[in-house]
Amino acid sequence: MIRIDNLKKLYHMGTVEVRALDGVTLDIAKGEFLGIMGASGSGKTTLLHMLGLLDEPSSGSILLDNTDVGKLTDYEKTMFRLYKLGYVFQDYALVPDLTVMENVSLPAMLRKDRDEEQIKADSYEILQKIGLCDRRDHLPRELSGGQQQRVSIARAMVNKPDILFADEPCANLDSENSRMVLELFREINEEFRQTIVMVSHEDWHKEYFHRIIRLKDGKVVSDGVNGNGEKAG
Amino acid sequence: MGKKELKVAFLLALRSLQRGSRSSVVLTVLIIAMCFTNMIFLPGLFNGIGQGIITQVVDYEVGNVLVGSKTGEQYVTDLDATLDLINGMPGVDRATPHFSKGATLKYRQRVLGVSVKAIKPGDEKFVSPLYTKMVAGSYLGEDDTGEVIIGQPVAGDATIKAEDEFQASLGGVRVGDSITFEYPNGYTKDYRVKGIYFTGWSSADNNVFVSWSDMEQVEGKPLDYADYITVKAKPGYDEKFIKDELLQYGVPGYVQTTGDLLEKSMGKVLQSFAIINMVSLIVGVIITTVVLFIVITIKTINSRRQIGILKAIGVDKEVIMHNYGFQVIIMALLGIFFGVILTALMGVYLAANPIVTPEWSATLYLTPMDYITNALILFFAAVVAGYVPAYQVSREDIQTAMRA
Ligand SMILES: Nc1ncnc2c1ncn2[C@@H]1O[C@H](COP(=O)(O)OP(=O)(O)O)[C@@H](O)[C@H]1O
Ligand SMILES: [Mg+2]
Repeated sequence: MIRIDNLKKLYHMGTVEVRALDGVTLDIAKGEFLGIMGASGSGKTTLLHMLGLLDEPSSGSILLDNTDVGKLTDYEKTMFRLYKLGYVFQDYALVPDLTVMENVSLPAMLRKDRDEEQIKADSYEILQKIGLCDRRDHLPRELSGGQQQRVSIARAMVNKPDILFADEPCANLDSENSRMVLELFREINEEFRQTIVMVSHEDWHKEYFHRIIRLKDGKVVSDGVNGNGEKAG
Repeated sequence: MGKKELKVAFLLALRSLQRGSRSSVVLTVLIIAMCFTNMIFLPGLFNGIGQGIITQVVDYEVGNVLVGSKTGEQYVTDLDATLDLINGMPGVDRATPHFSKGATLKYRQRVLGVSVKAIKPGDEKFVSPLYTKMVAGSYLGEDDTGEVIIGQPVAGDATIKAEDEFQASLGGVRVGDSITFEYPNGYTKDYRVKGIYFTGWSSADNNVFVSWSDMEQVEGKPLDYADYITVKAKPGYDEKFIKDELLQYGVPGYVQTTGDLLEKSMGKVLQSFAIINMVSLIVGVIITTVVLFIVITIKTINSRRQIGILKAIGVDKEVIMHNYGFQVIIMALLGIFFGVILTALMGVYLAANPIVTPEWSATLYLTPMDYITNALILFFAAVVAGYVPAYQVSREDIQTAMRA
């Protein structure tokens, strides 16, 4: 599903060179629920942005579903994101002037292979899944943080993406809401065999992941179940 | 850009206007409305003044075409034949002669020098609506002699003392009163005031009128000459056409259209108007452009992260650009709409309460074309002003935008 080869990302801050990613090589299988963990500044977001086609690596390659995404044009990347990827941000990042329903439908409305009816059906279905159908006409600011994050997951899922990315989706939530969100990811993963790549730095999240990658200074320092170095079966 | 993309862009724009900062939207729309009004009001007023002057010049001075004396001659001669000739031409409604003579008018203690105009009342009615402007008494009959109609400013007001008058008058003449006229040739005669008129056109209101027959008595011979002849065109006939026709027929006189005369007398004024109009147009366009540019720039800067997120979830940059574009278009259309209403309301108000001065009166004179042109100019200025920042922000790369 995802094949990362010797991925590097350098930032130049004046004369100082920051190696945000320093040669990451990784394979992620379809249906995997992968956790990327590591201390702050270890390169987790940078890696996720590369995978989500939000940034370009300095060197190395990424194959998503056998497509070398480094070769795509700007427009093709946009379409790739629209058709194949879903993204959940730490701060929910919903459009504040759109209702829950409109936020969730937005990515579907842009797809050429979705008609009005299907957009409605898909949006309802995913709203049902996150349990916020009755709040569909509310604006994001009328919802709690946990609810907003669930809406943001619904928005990422409405197009049934090949891969779902989430960058510290629970960082702004209390543990109860965090658990709800993680349960939701687990359900989605199990129900649809959804590939999920999630960044987290909370140790207790690891019970949800099939496999855990630990980053340190832009390098993979461990890879396996519970971050112990063993691969999941 | 497909239909779906435009639809999404429009939805985003609409929701942003509906659910975003209301006050900023209302203010922006108001400013555009004001700019539109400002752009169109002054030119409309000047047009109104111009139109008012033209109408009055046509009504009370020259009709549509003026036949004056040939260069070097004092009068239009061979009058009867000339009038017959002109009146027989296609497109001519009526031609009528004017002949003036200075006279000293005496009434009670007052003495006033005025210009006495001789007209042929029957024909004059076809050319000038002055006969509809009688405020007392009645208009001249065709062969009235010893009777005069006078302008209200000449008649004056008995309640105002001579030294307090803005303009010298006879101090309160009323219909039926007798005024003594002394002509320079020594001829003196008492006239009965048959009527008093007021047109609002000062040069007409400062005259007195007598009939052609009466003037023949004053001159002591048949009047087969005139200062000038005024010609009224039939509806649908253009001044220029009549002028050319008169020239072709070899009318013995100097032929000018109202347009020719106005251009001579008002050309400079009209040029100044045109400059002022241009300035008010440019100011309106600049203010609108700057305001919209600032509003949209602020909007885009405040939503840079939002824009980054939208791109991250697969929204194309064109959609983002048109989102802001549509917001500007909607605000511009609303602004122009309210501007049109505001201007039209002022037009209605001014039509009911014209700005009146002794020289002219003005209403707002605006054709649909004026509205359309100004609306289009403002609209395009607005669209450019909005699309520039929208274009810029939509091209920003995702990383920069998301970290904002
Ligand atoms: N745009 C940037 N310019 C310079 N340095 C950056 C930029 N983005 C990230 N970095 C640096 O790259 C390193 C990794 O950052 P990041 O991937 O955000 O870490 P994490 O998400 O694990 O906290 C950090 O040292 C950070 O300061
Ligand atoms: Mg991070």
